[in-house]
Amino acid sequence: MRADRPDVPSVVAGIAVLALGAVLLLDATGVIELSFGLLAPVACAAAGAILLASGLTRRT
Amino acid sequence: MTMDDRRHDGPEEEREAGAEEEPAGEEAAPEEPTAEEPTAEAPTEPAPEDPRGSQGEAPPPPAPPPAAEAPTQPLPPEPRRLLRSRSNRVIGGVCGGLGRYFNVDPILFRIAAIALALIGGAGVLLYLAALVLVPNEPADATAQPPAEGRSRALTIVLVVVVLLVAWPFLLGGGVIAAGVLFPLAFLVAAGVLVWWFVSGEGPSGDAGDIARRAALGIGVLILCGVIAIGGAWAAAAGGGVVVGVLVIASGLAILAGAFLKPVRWLILPAVTLALSAGAVAAAGIDLDGGVGDKTYRPASAADLQEKYQLGIGDLEVDLRNTDLPAGDRPLAIDLGVGQARLLVPEDLCVTTDANVGVGQIDVFDRGTGGVDVDFVEQLDAQPATTRLVVDADIGLGQLSVVHDPGDIRGAFHRGSRDFDGSIAGEDNSACLDTGSSARG
Repeated sequence: MRADRPDVPSVVAGIAVLALGAVLLLDATGVIELSFGLLAPVACAAAGAILLASGLTRRT
Repeated sequence: MTMDDRRHDGPEEEREAGAEEEPAGEEAAPEEPTAEEPTAEAPTEPAPEDPRGSQGEAPPPPAPPPAAEAPTQPLPPEPRRLLRSRSNRVIGGVCGGLGRYFNVDPILFRIAAIALALIGGAGVLLYLAALVLVPNEPADATAQPPAEGRSRALTIVLVVVVLLVAWPFLLGGGVIAAGVLFPLAFLVAAGVLVWWFVSGEGPSGDAGDIARRAALGIGVLILCGVIAIGGAWAAAAGGGVVVGVLVIASGLAILAGAFLKPVRWLILPAVTLALSAGAVAAAGIDLDGGVGDKTYRPASAADLQEKYQLGIGDLEVDLRNTDLPAGDRPLAIDLGVGQARLLVPEDLCVTTDANVGVGQIDVFDRGTGGVDVDFVEQLDAQPATTRLVVDADIGLGQLSVVHDPGDIRGAFHRGSRDFDGSIAGEDNSACLDTGSSARG
């Protein structure tokens, strides 16, 4: 079943979760070394984007 | 009775006057009401007791009141009184009377009374006071219609006033009950918010709907807790790649669902899994080495391992009675979660390169702590002296390098001296006063 319009919060959340997964995978494979100094901004940005998209969609 | 009949039921004088003024023919008397042409004398709406009102027949006119029953003067309206209800009562009708007075559901007052009774007992005192002060409803009183125009703000003000009055009682004896009810209320609120985010169903509807949503939201929270523990455990056990692939797959599913059928319920578990695994990875927690407390006391250089590893627990390496020859001796400590203690003799020079994800590093009389704590101290040993080169990696916990176990301090404190700019401390006197020290 195809939706008429894409669900914007799901789009934003999907991209955010993809970004988090990519960071995890890069750390697990040794490409980057994850620290709280890197994780905290990424996590805050992801959560903020999801909440912002959800809130704006609900408002409209 | 028809309208024509009514015309001839009046007094004789009216009949005669009407006979004189009334023109001939029904068409010439438009003021006369008929069933199809209602006027002020014939009400347009049927009387409540007349079920035939909508059938097209005119309702019967009310009988003229007797002269003795006609009111001579209008009575002044009686002021509304707060009375204890007889028809809507559980104990004394106080809450039922309050509900009718303020035009709100009495169950709200009952809930408030029970809550105040549990928290400090103020509800009992207030109810008893109302039971004494508020008069009872008369036995033959009919149900009064609720007053209109009572706003919800009035009820809120009433509740606030009651809470302010009851506040001393809340402080007095309801600490234990408040310790249970407030977290419970917080949990319910969190459940409602979580379900609101997951499903889009806001906190509206009746109490049953809100309770259902709160229960579903709490269920989602529990599910997320299980996912967080599982993801953290998997990442710490070396399954970081698997967790990363799972998170990416979840992201792809959410993204695809946005165009096909949204799966918002998957967002929170996916983010929870990613953050829990990310926190473990950022802290560098590794469960290799097992779980439990381990203590090592090597007697000689041959017994000294190059690496001591533990997943979760307390790790102690005691070198105070170890016979070590002069020169450099590497020593690696890898601890996932817990406390690592390194006990060294005073004639041993210790140079340290340590990293703690979340926790504390104490090297003799100095200490630092926090998140992403790095400490590097490169010192040179005195001639004919053993230098212990420590490479420590702690995920969540504390590293302590001391001469005596009694010198170990609690976590997250500040040492007596700072790492910055200081070279060999007084308790690391086997090292030369040269080298470098830094923390981050």
